Amino acid sequence: MEFFYHIGKYLLFLKKVFKRPQKRKIFFQNIFFEIEKLGINSITIVFIVSVFMGAVITLQTAYNIEVSFVPLYLVGLGTRDSMFLEFSSTIVALILAGKVGANIASEIGTMKIREQIEALDMMGVNSESYLVLPKIIAAVFSYPLLTLFSMFIGIFGGYLAVYFTNAIPVDDFVYGLHYYFIPFYISYSLIKMVIFAFITATIPAYQAYFIKGGALEVGKASTKAVVYSSILILFFNVIITQILLS
Amino acid sequence: MIEVKNISKSFGDEQILKDISLTFEQGKTNLIIGQSGSGKTVLLKSVVGIHKIDKGEIILGNEVYSAMNHKEKQKIRKEIGMVFQGGALFDSYSVYENVIFPLRMFSKMTKKEMTERVDFCLDRVNLHQVNDSYPSEISGGMQKRVAIARAIVLNPKYLFFDEPNSGLDPKTAIVIDNLIKELTIDFNTVTVINTHDMNSVVEIGDNIAFIYHGQKWWTGNNKEILTSDNTELNDFVFATKLMRSIKG
Repeated sequence: MEFFYHIGKYLLFLKKVFKRPQKRKIFFQNIFFEIEKLGINSITIVFIVSVFMGAVITLQTAYNIEVSFVPLYLVGLGTRDSMFLEFSSTIVALILAGKVGANIASEIGTMKIREQIEALDMMGVNSESYLVLPKIIAAVFSYPLLTLFSMFIGIFGGYLAVYFTNAIPVDDFVYGLHYYFIPFYISYSLIKMVIFAFITATIPAYQAYFIKGGALEVGKASTKAVVYSSILILFFNVIITQILLS
Repeated sequence: MIEVKNISKSFGDEQILKDISLTFEQGKTNLIIGQSGSGKTVLLKSVVGIHKIDKGEIILGNEVYSAMNHKEKQKIRKEIGMVFQGGALFDSYSVYENVIFPLRMFSKMTKKEMTERVDFCLDRVNLHQVNDSYPSEISGGMQKRVAIARAIVLNPKYLFFDEPNSGLDPKTAIVIDNLIKELTIDFNTVTVINTHDMNSVVEIGDNIAFIYHGQKWWTGNNKEILTSDNTELNDFVFATKLMRSIKG
């Protein structure tokens, strides 16, 4: 029963979030501020994760096909498709659920326990829309760009791995990158990331918005936000994959 | 004037406010006093509309505030200034940004006019050269004054203070009390203060309502409170040695 209670409460929360912003100029300023906070400030972590993921996928694939008759260029193809299909969207989304999700939950949670949200409501500000809508728009806009960035950096990581280890010839790797390229894989990844971005922005906001108590509850809300966001990302990954790739 | 008529409020099975009726006068400091847990914060938050009341009426001016829908209440709230217990300043905004915030959201002033208004309000609460500081960089007393400046920036008709002196030293508390009194007279507001600070009660208590176990137990002013024969009120007022020494 509690599950359905939270679904209903979450949907009512979203209804308030998607109300028309009261002051357009401030709304757009907040969006740019959130893009910087949620998107631009995540570039470093996405770079680090992607470059190592690309390198590891490349090396693991190379060592696994070392003794077989599989063509070496498949290492490049495998790296590209792994990054495009799964790692640059799902894994990056899980990383961002941890970083950005905890950030959103702790920010809104702290505002809640310090009566700052009540202060906004008291002034006549629609606090749900004012605080959460810019985060959703910023995440939905910037996460797909981070996905594209991650794809590029992941392949670059794979390239560096073969260049420095000579696991396979660099030419074979590059040939594999070009081999049988399906552009839809990029669209598929971006569509997934838009949905993951929505989850990563709204679930932590919902978890934090209704907390009561003190710092301990903010910590609990942050943990719940990350756990629930991650589970939902994995769940929707299966659903979207079935819908788009079947 | 604010009229509170027979309001009741429960959280679950626990009834916090029991049939309370009060009148808060314009141009006067109206104090709600009572022990911690007596229901005075719930009363204040019910009057401003943060908590929805179960029964009764709240009348602001000539309008039944408690019967309004969310949109109508939002409109009225621009006429209400509230200072929360901890100040409730936005951590990521500077002092200037905190005070200008209501103007940016709700006024049609030019940037120059808004800056002038912010400067006026900060000057009115005796804050100077802190515009660029963040709440974490200023003292508790200064934070309260910034919160007061933010509360008066839209020229409100109604001012609410939730324990404005909590966490402040006695000297700073007196400064805040005097400031509240001055603002009430200058702006001719209906000022409602929720407090258990006896200094405030004696200094600025034009009208006082004593809340006891969620009920209105006693009403009077800062002179009458010292001579009342109400047992529960006397237990509260003369709880400290200092107050007992005043009584003699």
